[in-house]
Amino acid sequence: MRHALLILGFIAAVLAVVLAVTPLSQMSFIPAVVALIAGIFAFYMDKDRSKKAVQLIFILTILSISLATYKGVFSSAEVGNTEELKQKEQQLENESIDELEDLDTEGLEIE
Amino acid sequence: MKRIILSLVLLISAKALSQNTSIAIGEKLTYSASYVMSGLLTDLAEVTMETSEVNTSKSKLMKLKCTAATYTKWDSFFKIRDLYESYVSPSSLTPYLYNRDINEGGYNKFMKYKFDHKTNTVASLKRKLKKDGSTVEEKKTVKIGNATRDLVTTLYYIRNMEIHKAKIGDNQNFTIIFDNKEMVINVKYLGKETLNSVLGKTECYKLAISLKNSDVLKGNNDNLIWLSADANKIPIYAKFKIAVGSGELKLKRASGMLN
Repeated sequence: MRHALLILGFIAAVLAVVLAVTPLSQMSFIPAVVALIAGIFAFYMDKDRSKKAVQLIFILTILSISLATYKGVFSSAEVGNTEELKQKEQQLENESIDELEDLDTEGLEIE
Repeated sequence: MKRIILSLVLLISAKALSQNTSIAIGEKLTYSASYVMSGLLTDLAEVTMETSEVNTSKSKLMKLKCTAATYTKWDSFFKIRDLYESYVSPSSLTPYLYNRDINEGGYNKFMKYKFDHKTNTVASLKRKLKKDGSTVEEKKTVKIGNATRDLVTTLYYIRNMEIHKAKIGDNQNFTIIFDNKEMVINVKYLGKETLNSVLGKTECYKLAISLKNSDVLKGNNDNLIWLSADANKIPIYAKFKIAVGSGELKLKRASGMLN
């Protein structure tokens, strides 16, 4: 049982770290909590045995939670480079004006 | 005589109904689009809706533009740079030209519709970028109904409806042309609700949107839009449910309103 909990905790902790470095950092809290619970149970199941595996789970979990919290607090949502989109938009507008000249826009206000 | 008066009244009311009373040239609305991933709402992209004036040698038109761009953190995973625009009559919002240029995670597509309201046809041009870098072009003439509009114009046209006169449960159909096919959008008025937004506490009209004979939009009354219950009828908040998940659009900034 302890082995199963350690394996589950380790997989969840690794998943939490992986998610924390991706844009899906918010989602890393879910495996981090799972890893933490598995680690705590494994720790109290057999206190006399080596704690190294549990320590590793805890370190990975703390690392992922810290990283996800930092990203959540300090990174603001900003739009990437839209220069290409603006150029395309300008080019499309120029093309559209030419085409609108040929279209029948009867009834519209005349400049 | 009665008939003449009745026809005159109908003509005047039809003209008054078709007048634009909500959308100003120079209006800019910015939204934050979020998507539900494993139960968590994640900010995905910024959506803008903007209007501007376009002049040709013969006429003055209003350009309705909608853009969507993913936030920087998503650009390396799934970059979206979408552009939808429509050139319409500033007074009646009748569309004349529509462009759609989408770039979604490497998938590129361009659509152009030229509306001919005399023959009720649309001359469409589809351009697709293939994986080898070459482009495929397809030209088509599509027969449309006399009330068919493009997607962007319909979004703005819904804002121009006299919702204050509607009763709860009232609904209206709008025909749109999308991917060279006519589709019917049903808009149902669900009542008024007060929402907290960047504009403060705002009383809103709650509308449910559904697409007839299509399974793009999922659920019953799960695709909702809240328009401010004033003369501008600004979309304040929207919730959508599609096959691959659900999300929302929240107003971040608004400027240049008509009223």
